[in-house]
Amino acid sequence: MSTATARNADLRGTLSLPAVLTGILGVLALAVLVIDFWPYLASGNISQALFSPDETDFDQILFHFSTLPRVAMAFLCGAGLALAGAAIQTVLRNPLASPTTLGVGAGVEFALTLFVLLAPASLAIFQEAFALAGGLIALGAVYLIAANRGNATLWLILAGMIVNLLLQSGSQIILLFNEQYLQSIFMWGAGDLAQNGWDDTEFVWPRVLTGMIAILALSRPLDLLALGDDTASSLGAKVTVLRLLILGLAVFITASVISAAGMIGFVGLAIPAALRIAGLSRSRDLMIYSVFTGGFALLIVDFLVRQFNTLGGDPLPTGAATALFGAPFIIFMLLKARIMPGNQNDDQHSDQQIVSKTTLSIALAASLVIGVVFSLLVSLDGSGFVILRWQDSSLDILIGRSERTFAAMICGAALAVSGTLIQRVGRNPLASPEITGVSSATALAMILALAVFGFGQRAELMVIGAAGGIASLFVLLALCRKFTHAPHYMLLNGLAMTAILGAMVRIVLTRSGTQTSMLMSWLAGTTYFTNMNEVMIVAGVTGILLVVAIALRRPLELASLGTDQSISLGLGISGFQFAMMLLAAILAASATLLVGPLSFVGLMAPHLARVAGYRLAGGHLLGAVLIGVNVMMVAEWLARNMIYPAQLPTGLIAALIGTGYFLILAARKR
Amino acid sequence: MNILRALVCPVLLCAAIIATSISPALADPIEIEHERGILRLDGPAKRVATINWSFTESVIALGLDPVAIADPQDYVDWVAKPDLPESFVDLGQRASPNLEALRASKPDLIISVPDIGMAYEKLAEIAPVLELRLFDGKTPAFETAREVFGKIAKATGREAEAQAYLADVDQKMIDYGKRIKTAIGPDQKINVVFFFDESNVGIFADISLPGSVMTAMNVPIAYDGEVNKWGFGRGGLEILAPYAKETLVYTNPVPDVVLDKLLNSPMWKVMDFTRNNRVYELPVVWAYGGVPSALRFARLLTETIESGPQQ
Repeated sequence: MSTATARNADLRGTLSLPAVLTGILGVLALAVLVIDFWPYLASGNISQALFSPDETDFDQILFHFSTLPRVAMAFLCGAGLALAGAAIQTVLRNPLASPTTLGVGAGVEFALTLFVLLAPASLAIFQEAFALAGGLIALGAVYLIAANRGNATLWLILAGMIVNLLLQSGSQIILLFNEQYLQSIFMWGAGDLAQNGWDDTEFVWPRVLTGMIAILALSRPLDLLALGDDTASSLGAKVTVLRLLILGLAVFITASVISAAGMIGFVGLAIPAALRIAGLSRSRDLMIYSVFTGGFALLIVDFLVRQFNTLGGDPLPTGAATALFGAPFIIFMLLKARIMPGNQNDDQHSDQQIVSKTTLSIALAASLVIGVVFSLLVSLDGSGFVILRWQDSSLDILIGRSERTFAAMICGAALAVSGTLIQRVGRNPLASPEITGVSSATALAMILALAVFGFGQRAELMVIGAAGGIASLFVLLALCRKFTHAPHYMLLNGLAMTAILGAMVRIVLTRSGTQTSMLMSWLAGTTYFTNMNEVMIVAGVTGILLVVAIALRRPLELASLGTDQSISLGLGISGFQFAMMLLAAILAASATLLVGPLSFVGLMAPHLARVAGYRLAGGHLLGAVLIGVNVMMVAEWLARNMIYPAQLPTGLIAALIGTGYFLILAARKR
Repeated sequence: MNILRALVCPVLLCAAIIATSISPALADPIEIEHERGILRLDGPAKRVATINWSFTESVIALGLDPVAIADPQDYVDWVAKPDLPESFVDLGQRASPNLEALRASKPDLIISVPDIGMAYEKLAEIAPVLELRLFDGKTPAFETAREVFGKIAKATGREAEAQAYLADVDQKMIDYGKRIKTAIGPDQKINVVFFFDESNVGIFADISLPGSVMTAMNVPIAYDGEVNKWGFGRGGLEILAPYAKETLVYTNPVPDVVLDKLLNSPMWKVMDFTRNNRVYELPVVWAYGGVPSALRFARLLTETIESGPQQ
């Protein structure tokens, strides 16, 4: 406390950085307002335009009912989200927590999508409660996964990513079945601030203001919270109640903003984080500054977006634009700030094994064989189970099913190997191809190639995707020069890259019409488009790299123990580690090419294998592969048959299984 | 001479027999230009599977019932007419038609779009695929729809029916156009608009299906701004302002909540079309469809305008 105060005093004495930052944004925001108001300021009828527009003058009506509420909404949403972010960051003592990173936004979005599309009009009054519940449940799930772990900060972010990705794909699935409303929902989902009247503003301002006052009133004890649970409880604050109250208020503000304006990413993360880096440490200061800085910042970004939109063509949603601005900022922040003391051995499991490794391996292998036979021969047709009978087309049907089943299985194997390598070399039990952003970058490259540059052939897309995935690895390595010392840097850079992908995808999706649904199902991970040749190629690559990895199990063992003494590349990592990471990236890219970026198998399979007792590198690899293949096989069958004749994305089912796994793991830890 | 005749006759006869027996096979393989080059069919397709509603309605309009249809439930809500056949195989989502269901329907032709071009090979293993592009961002959509209609007719051996249908469409378009001009005056332009939500609207330009149909009807379309691939511009209500002097027609379906908010908003009320009572509501019609939807649009537009503006 004393050092922080001293530093603050020091900063105030010379030049208060947060004040300067807020001041600059304030001046820019004022400039924006002057530009918007100028026609009326110049002609002198500003008060008329502001308060009682001339009913016959279109420009005045437009100004009064579109421009003005939009400016007000931008400020309100920015202020509300930044405050919510500051509150969540303080309560959880986590500089990377925010409504978006902890899944609150995705929870609200999912609940609203579900509600808008499926709830009958008579239930409309419950919409807000439903959205709030969505946000709270998402936050609860994240908290449950991360609670009681050694490095809660890191787990919280990771759990947030898992829940985020899951809920986003959940929303996408609902949309897949309501394709006609895609364009409208996407505009909202991407954070659209276009206004037609004051309704949204009137909805948002009392809620944000109430939440704001309540949080600020509670912000004194927050400084005690910031010192840690022990200090706070010794000081007499009812820590748990206070925490829950403040988190609830933060979710309430977020839910209100998202209900009205859709997902506006990164304001809640970047603004308080930037202020903190600038030197604010007292929570009350942080929150008050956040309100203004956040409001000004979104006002300015939205002004830029409006200027862009007047250029014609399809409008750019503001929320997607903030994510594009915000994500690189996170990377900058990571390079700038020292966060999270590394405590990597947070995931110790008891060494006692439930079953012996041999029994487990045999059981997994047996389930694999039985599963494949079942997958190929049994299906659902909407009325019940159907066993494939011999007829002319049986062979073709078998080929079709095996293409997809094998694609899913190979993908499971490739991701399992990739995840094991990343987890061992990065010495981080939470790293995975999805989470480091390699898969996302592969997907982004393919989507841009398809939707923007018009490449339509799968072969072309695959090459482009592979290049994207490998390029992202190099970016990642360049950004994480110290990643063996601080593996979470890699995770967090992955988070930023995933966010950039998310924003780009949203923008592309609002623009690509009928291709949208194909892109969406592929993004969620579908085997629908794969063919046998691709499966064979990826199987070959995976097989060879698996053999290479197993052959290198000794140095891999050493590397994961941190005693690797190979020649340094000058990047802070050894040549061996670099080679292993490259292997992992190639595998992740191959799997993504085959079925898309999402599945969590790369995270879950190695983790589960370790928990099950596969500890040495070689066994870990094989165990992970067995588990990954099994999981993907089951997911694939469910995806094909669950809602016949519709074909669900396999990756989504695998992700559901994966999230379920982490939730069970969390529950069992209690 | 007799000997010669005796020799020649059997030869001629044989030639004649060979010619008649070969000609249906040789002279008549159907060749259709599509996205993947030339599609050759041995004979007219009888069992057609349609992956896109534009094809579904065209095949039905040609008097053939498709054996497999993608996304039939939404067809009922968004395309409405022509009615779907009594029985067919439901293929599930348009973006990922169920291949096993498709195979089980035993099609002899699959009509698909480049949007799911990545699945072309898989479809082609089941039956010949006619892959037709509906929107390229340049060609007026009605022209493309006519061309597509012709190709489908060729593939199903119904070219005569198609010609008759198209001739009828042309005649009706002209008649409808005249009726609209009689109803609202010869110089009045029309905006065809749809609502994304209460703040965002789309407005069709000349290359869109509604726009190009109006061109065929000789009815002037108002919007001439920026458009996307499907030929509509998109933005806030303010994009309607420059065209507010003209007549406005909005399409369906629109959720009631959205419509209610939008029509009661001050921005909507200040627009000239609202003040001059020139707002019309169009019943459900598929604005991205084929020739049948084009004709339906022309008819509904005419009937809507003749029955007077919305209250």
